[in-house]
Amino acid sequence: MSTDVATAPTGPGPARTGAGGSREAATRGAFYGAIAVFAALILYGAISTDGFLTMTNVRAILSSVAFVGMVAVGTALIMISGNLFSLAVGSTAAAAAMIFLALLPHGIVLAFAVTLLMGVVVGAMQGFLVGGIGANTIIVTIGAAGLIQGVALWASHGATILPPKGDTSFDWLNGHIFTFAVPIYILFGTVVVLDQFLRRSRFGRRLKLVGENVEAARAAGIRTAWVVIGAFSIAGGLFAFAGLELGAFNESGSLLIEGTQTYDAIAAAVVGGIAITGGRGSVWQALGGAILIAMISDILLLRGYSEGIQILVKGVVVFAVVVLARLNRMRAES
Amino acid sequence: MTENATAQPAAGTQPLLSVRHVSKTYGAVRALDDASLELASGEILGLCGHNGAGKSTLVKILTGQVHPDGGEIAMRDAPVELRDPLDAQSKGLAIVDQELALAPDLSVEENLFLGNFDLSLLRRPGAVRRRARDLLSRIGLAVDPRSPLEKLSIGERQLIEIARLVGRDARVLILDEPTATLSENEIERVFAVVRELVREGRSTIFVSHRLDEVLDLCDRVTVLRDGRIVASRSTADIAHRQELIKMMIGRELPPPQRSEAAGVAVGAGAAIAGLRVPPAVADFSLNVEGGQIVGLTGQIGSGTSQVLRALAGLEPDARGGFTLDGGAVRLGAPAAALRAGVAFASNDRKGEGLFLEKTVEDNLVATRLDSLSRLGFIRGGALRETARRLVDFVKVDGDRIGDTVEHFSGGNQQKIFLGRCLDREDVKLLLLDEPTRGVDVAGRAEIHQLIRQAALAGVAVLFASTELDEILDLSDRVVTMFGGRIVASLAREETNAALISADMTMSHERKEVAL
Repeated sequence: MSTDVATAPTGPGPARTGAGGSREAATRGAFYGAIAVFAALILYGAISTDGFLTMTNVRAILSSVAFVGMVAVGTALIMISGNLFSLAVGSTAAAAAMIFLALLPHGIVLAFAVTLLMGVVVGAMQGFLVGGIGANTIIVTIGAAGLIQGVALWASHGATILPPKGDTSFDWLNGHIFTFAVPIYILFGTVVVLDQFLRRSRFGRRLKLVGENVEAARAAGIRTAWVVIGAFSIAGGLFAFAGLELGAFNESGSLLIEGTQTYDAIAAAVVGGIAITGGRGSVWQALGGAILIAMISDILLLRGYSEGIQILVKGVVVFAVVVLARLNRMRAES
Repeated sequence: MTENATAQPAAGTQPLLSVRHVSKTYGAVRALDDASLELASGEILGLCGHNGAGKSTLVKILTGQVHPDGGEIAMRDAPVELRDPLDAQSKGLAIVDQELALAPDLSVEENLFLGNFDLSLLRRPGAVRRRARDLLSRIGLAVDPRSPLEKLSIGERQLIEIARLVGRDARVLILDEPTATLSENEIERVFAVVRELVREGRSTIFVSHRLDEVLDLCDRVTVLRDGRIVASRSTADIAHRQELIKMMIGRELPPPQRSEAAGVAVGAGAAIAGLRVPPAVADFSLNVEGGQIVGLTGQIGSGTSQVLRALAGLEPDARGGFTLDGGAVRLGAPAAALRAGVAFASNDRKGEGLFLEKTVEDNLVATRLDSLSRLGFIRGGALRETARRLVDFVKVDGDRIGDTVEHFSGGNQQKIFLGRCLDREDVKLLLLDEPTRGVDVAGRAEIHQLIRQAALAGVAVLFASTELDEILDLSDRVVTMFGGRIVASLAREETNAALISADMTMSHERKEVAL
C-alpha cells in the first residue's frame, strides 16, 4: 500500500483534528465533568461525614457496587445496542440465585454452568423477540420478568432456597483478597475484559452501529438480529452472575432478593452517561455510574437519612444527569 | 468577482423583504458574510450555491431558526426581529422544507390547518371545510379535503404544504429544494402554483441545486459562494446553466467524460428475471453487464426504488430470479446480498445510509468488517489502512477521518456513503438510488466520476434517478419504468430527454416527439 502514502494528503496517521468534532468535545466535557463530580463528592463526604474516608467504608461501598455494577454493565450493553434496557434484571438475578443454590448438591461447577446458561438463554430469547421480530423491548422484558417470576415461584413452591447444610464449596465467593471482597475483583475483571472485547471485536463495532441506526446497519449488510441477540445474551449472563453472587452472599435465594436491582441498573447506566438512544457508551461508564450512586447512598446512610430519602436522592441524581447531559450536548452543538 | 452584486429588483417598487449586511459565524466557520439582498413583491428569486456556501444558513435566518450575529432583516423597509419559526411565520415568512412537515395519517383539511391558531377553539366543520376547499382550489388540487394525506402523491403533498402556508397568509414563501423528490410533471404543477401565487403579490425564494429549474422559474438569481453573495442577476441575462455554475464555483467545470467501459467484461454481470415486489413492482427483467452503467428512471411510485431495494435484499416480499456472474442470489437477506457482491446505497442517506454520529473511518469500513477481522477480532492496522485508502479514493479531507460524519456537507456525506460501496474487489453489482440527491454541482461531478471509475473496473452499475440530466450524463443504457413495469429500455445514443419524459408519463405523444 506504499502507493497510497504517496497520494495521501499531508497529515500524520490517525488524525484527530477535533475541528468540527463537537461530539468529541461533548464526550471530553462529560469526562472531565464526571471526574469533577467524583472529586467533589469524595471531598464533600470526607469533610462532612465522619467515617466516610475509612477503609471499612470504602470496602462497604465497593461491596454494594460489586452487585449493582454487574447488572449495570449488562444494562449498558442493551442500551448501547439501541434497545433501551431490560426490566427483567431483578427477576433474572433472583431466579439465578435460586437455581444456583438449588443445584449446589450436584456440585458447584454444574450449578455455576447451569445458572449462567439460564441467564444467557433467557437473554437470548428476549433478544430474539426484540431484534429478530422487532417487538418492543419494554413489553418483552416485562413479559419475561413475569414469566421468570412465575416459573421460579411455581418450581420452588414459594419456598426460600437454602444451600445444603455444611456446604462450603461457594465460600470463596464471599472471601476477601487484600481486604476487598472477591466479587469486586470479578466485577473489575469483567469490565476490563468486556471493554477490550467491545473495542477490538467485530461484534463490538457492529453493536455500536446497530445501536445508532438499525436501518442503516441492515442496509450495510449487518445481521442486526444476531447483534441484538448477542447483546441480550451477554447481559442475561451478567444478570445471572450477579444473582448467583448475591445468592452466595445471602446464603439464601428467593424472589425477594430482586429488590431494586432493575432500577439501580438502569440508574447506574444513565448516570454513567450511556446514551439511552444507543450507539455510544462503554462498560466503564456503567461502572462509574454504579460507584457514584453507591457513594451517594453511602453518605446518606452514614448521616442517618431514612431509606426513603436515599431512594429519593437517587431519583434526583438520575434527573440531574439527564438534564446536564442534554445541556452539554446543546452547548457542544451550538 | 462581485459582478453586479447589488442588482436591484424592479426599480421604483418598495422591496417586500430586505436582508442587510447579515452575518453568521459558527465556531471558526463564517457561514454567512455580510449578505444583502432584496426581494420585490411578486418576484421569484433563485438562491444558488454549493453545499456549504451559506444557503441553508440564510434560509434558517429568514425562518427564525437561527439568529444572525449582525445585520438586519426588514419587511417593507421596517426592521423585524425573527425570534423563532412561529414568529417568522406570523410576520409572513414561511418555508416549505425538503422534509415535509405534514402528518400523513391526518386528513387533507386537518393538515391544511395544522398549527393554525386562528381557528376558533370550537371547530366548526362547515367553515373549516369551506376554507379548505377554497385553499385547494387556489392551488388547483381537486381532492376531497376529508381524504387522508397519505393517499396523495409526494408532489400533491408539497402543494398541500404550500396551501397550508398560503392559508396562514405567508407573504414570502421559501421553497427549499422542493423538487428533489418530484417527477417532471409534478414539478411543473408546483411551478404553476408558485407562478399563480406571485401574481397575487406574494414573493418566493427558490433554493435549488437544479439550475435549469432555477433559470426556468425565477426572475432573478442570487449566487452564494463561501458565505458571500457573489452575484445577483436577472435570469433573462443568463443564457445557460454553465454560466451559473461558473459563478457558483468560480471556475469552469470540466465537461463530463463518457464511460468507455462498455464491453470491458463479457458475460459477467447481473441478470434479473421476472422480479416482483408487491405492490410496487409487477414484473422486472433486466441484464446489467459488468462495466455497464444502466440508469433507471420513472416518476415517483414507478417502482425504481423498490427494484434496487429488492436486489439489495431489503424487500422481504420480493420474488423472482436474480443471478450475479451466474450465481443465484437469495432475495430478502441483505447480508447474503452483500456477500454475493451487491453493494447498495439508499436514497435515504441519513435514515438508511450513514451512521451520522460515527466517524468517517467507522462509516467507510462498516460493510467490510468481515474482511477486516480475524476470528471475530478487528485487525486495527488493516482497518485504518483501508479507511485511509478509501478516504483518498473518494477525495474527502484525510485529516478529518476521525470527525463524526454529521459535521460534513451533504456532498461530502454522500461521497463518504458511496466510499463504503466503491473500490471493493468483491463488489460485482453497484446499486445506487438517487446517488447525487442534495449534492451540489461540483460534488455531483466528482460522484459521477467515482461511479464511472467503478464501471471501468468492471462493476455492473444500476442506478435510479428522477433527474433526466443525471440519467443522460451517466447511463450507457436508459431503462424507464411506469406503474411497476419497464416501458422502455434504450441505449444512450437512441434516446433523449423528451423521449424519456414521454415514456415516464406513458404519454401518447411519444411518437411525435421521436420524430
